[in-house]
Amino acid sequence: MQLKNIPGCSAGLSLVKSKVARRRLIAASCALLGTTAARSQDAGGGTADAATAAWAVDSALAYYHESGRITAIEPIVNVSKEFADGKTFSAQVVFDSLSGSTPNGALPSTRPQTFASPSGKTLSGTPTTYTTSSGQLVSESAPIYSINPGQLPMDPHYHDQRLALSGDWGWPLTRLLTASAGGKLSYEHDFFSVSANAGIARDFNEKNTTLSFQLNDEFDSLRPIGGAPVAGSDYALFQKGGGKSKDGVGAMLGLTQVISRRWLTELNLSIDRFKGYLNDPYKIISIIDGAGNTTGYLYERRPDTRTRKSLYWENRTAWGRVSAALSLRYMTDDWRVRSDTAQIHVRWWNFDRDRFLEPTVRWYRQSAADFYTPWLDSTAAQIGYASSDSRLGAFQAVTYGLKYGAKLDDADLQTSSQFSIRLEYYQQTPDHRQSAPGALQGLDLYPGLKAILLQVGWKF
Amino acid sequence: MSIKWANLVLFAAAAALTAGCSSLGVKPWQRNVLARGDMQLNAEPLTAAVDDHMYFSKEASSGGRGFAGGGCGCN
Amino acid sequence: MPANIAVPDAALNIEARGADLVAVCFAAMASPCELLLPATERGAALALGAVVAGEARRIEAKFSRYREDSVVAAIHRSRGSETGIAVDAETASLLDFARECFQLSDGLFDITSGVLRRAWKFDGSERVPEPAAVERLLPLIGFEKLRWESPRLALPAGMELDFGGIGKEYAVDRAYHLLAAQRAEPFLVNFGGDLRTNRPPPRGPWQVGIERPGSDGQAAMVLELERGALATSGDARRFLQKDGIRYGHILNPRTGWPVRDAPRSVTVAASSCTEAGLLSTLALLHGADAEVFLEQQGVGHWLLR
Repeated sequence: MQLKNIPGCSAGLSLVKSKVARRRLIAASCALLGTTAARSQDAGGGTADAATAAWAVDSALAYYHESGRITAIEPIVNVSKEFADGKTFSAQVVFDSLSGSTPNGALPSTRPQTFASPSGKTLSGTPTTYTTSSGQLVSESAPIYSINPGQLPMDPHYHDQRLALSGDWGWPLTRLLTASAGGKLSYEHDFFSVSANAGIARDFNEKNTTLSFQLNDEFDSLRPIGGAPVAGSDYALFQKGGGKSKDGVGAMLGLTQVISRRWLTELNLSIDRFKGYLNDPYKIISIIDGAGNTTGYLYERRPDTRTRKSLYWENRTAWGRVSAALSLRYMTDDWRVRSDTAQIHVRWWNFDRDRFLEPTVRWYRQSAADFYTPWLDSTAAQIGYASSDSRLGAFQAVTYGLKYGAKLDDADLQTSSQFSIRLEYYQQTPDHRQSAPGALQGLDLYPGLKAILLQVGWKF
Repeated sequence: MSIKWANLVLFAAAAALTAGCSSLGVKPWQRNVLARGDMQLNAEPLTAAVDDHMYFSKEASSGGRGFAGGGCGCN
Repeated sequence: MPANIAVPDAALNIEARGADLVAVCFAAMASPCELLLPATERGAALALGAVVAGEARRIEAKFSRYREDSVVAAIHRSRGSETGIAVDAETASLLDFARECFQLSDGLFDITSGVLRRAWKFDGSERVPEPAAVERLLPLIGFEKLRWESPRLALPAGMELDFGGIGKEYAVDRAYHLLAAQRAEPFLVNFGGDLRTNRPPPRGPWQVGIERPGSDGQAAMVLELERGALATSGDARRFLQKDGIRYGHILNPRTGWPVRDAPRSVTVAASSCTEAGLLSTLALLHGADAEVFLEQQGVGHWLLR
């Protein structure tokens, strides 16, 4: 039983019947100890509690690399503190920098293909002037990239940096009721997001059961480079608009239950609904004729609403030097994507309980969105909803990982810190591959994805 | 299984679980294992954050522990 | 933590407690006492232990009923006098605290109830006193019968004061403050199960074993403590047994008889040991309602019945 949140002499309110009596008792104890204490500033224990509760810092640096594609570096720093009166606060800063090649949604072809990176205006490479929807006259020279026959079209100029800040607060309302609130801001040169959340949690059954409810609201504003393309329009026409936005609301009901001395379980039911501009502004779909030749491209078009529901179940258990966590998640949405996720971590401690090794495995499977299509028929020039984004397709993914951690105690500073390093391998394999017409049959249209992740962490 | 059926089953399961939970649990003095650092539900928040970000940008699902929004332009 | 250590009175013993803690042990207030420190401070252990032991023995000597030179003995010698006796600041604070507790508990906590010792001898035998013997002592009990106006205390003839109910916990807090004033590094002061700590050692929370009553030292439960105080009250060893009824040594000052259905052991967590000790004593005095009382107080508590 962890005895945190012991009220200090200066606080110490409990909203129960004998509130007044308890307060008098606390005051009496403080008076007793305060007047005879040898002028120490922690007379009564209240300030002592506050003084000894230090800020906890958790930091990590992650390196992510997809074979032949994107590389990302992501440092994160999180600071948190638990105050003597039970209030908690944490703040987090994340910076990430991505660069490399990213698929643009088009299919490989038997002929060479040429595309313009998002800031491009024509395929010719010479500077061109055009008027944006807001009436601005712009002249730009587009970075062009060429794709060889049989290659998957990827934009090699992908470059993005993001800074995100978040803060979270928790405070106990009564002995059994806790409130929480938080906010988050994220900046990229073409994307801005702000979100806020609030929640409440109540304990039951001698704190064996906790029921919680949270609401989340998010607003995103997109300013795609070169403007947001008109959804479903012809790629060659470069019909672009101004900035776009989307917003979403989410709710989550959570149940945490102690099943036994060694088994803790958590069940979360969540629902969220986004509406607005849900397209990926940089993705296109190839139009293929009967012979398998690419005759053109259209910008993708997704519905302007998406409702997702998910059920998440996590179990934790420990026995001596081994602890394990197993989680399952089932997700379904109104784009007809359904997914199952299962992840297991097993942590093995050494004899002194100051080093551990933690292998992990994750299985993931998703079904395709109903408007997912790897290409369009040349007869379907006017499309309904369509996207060739592989993230909306059917695939299976597996992650294998190993993490090593070491606890370090600094005798001089009387602190305890933990260093960790983990390496993970992630592989995505597309499912239900449609066979392509004509000349495309010999090409690898569904290459999937292979990536590694390396993360070092230090908390103190 | 249609979406509506699946929803019904999920809600029924959650309700049954909540109702049955009042008899489960441990006494306050039996919480020594549960108090372990690696038994906490949010034991490794930064690992979870990096994972969530990676899977959010590569897959169509997100969230579970927290909210599904993501807050970045990577999907 | 071991429940029973036999050490010579004046000695300070230093012993290792696992790989990362060191304990300075001594005996005081009829209990095994210790100061726990991280093993890296072995060098300072003796000096710090001496501070703690010094304070424990000072308070014991000052408020002991058995010593001729104690404040309590002086108060008893002044019994029956109209003007009473002037007491020092520390005794005055304790008397103020005792009065506040007397009022808050509606008379359940009463430092004048020591006279009941004359009728009740808890030696595990069957010698339950005659009701008349207990009746005779009741007029001599009652804090309201004292005249206490700081700094003068007038104790009527025949009455007694006994600080045993709060003395040990008070000593823990005093020793704690002496150390906390000098250092911010982790330490834990433990006088026979009443303990207080400022912060956890590097390896994690302090592991506190609560003894199973009657099991001769075996731990019934292990609590993890990060900061604050724990006090344990119980009637495991001192009791009488007659006709199948167990008479615990916690006596209700208003009736003179033991509390019915008192838990074997109550442990309470609070920010100060004095507060925790008072709540655990009051919980025992509530007998069958101990859990309800502690729930109402909203403190961390553990009972063994």
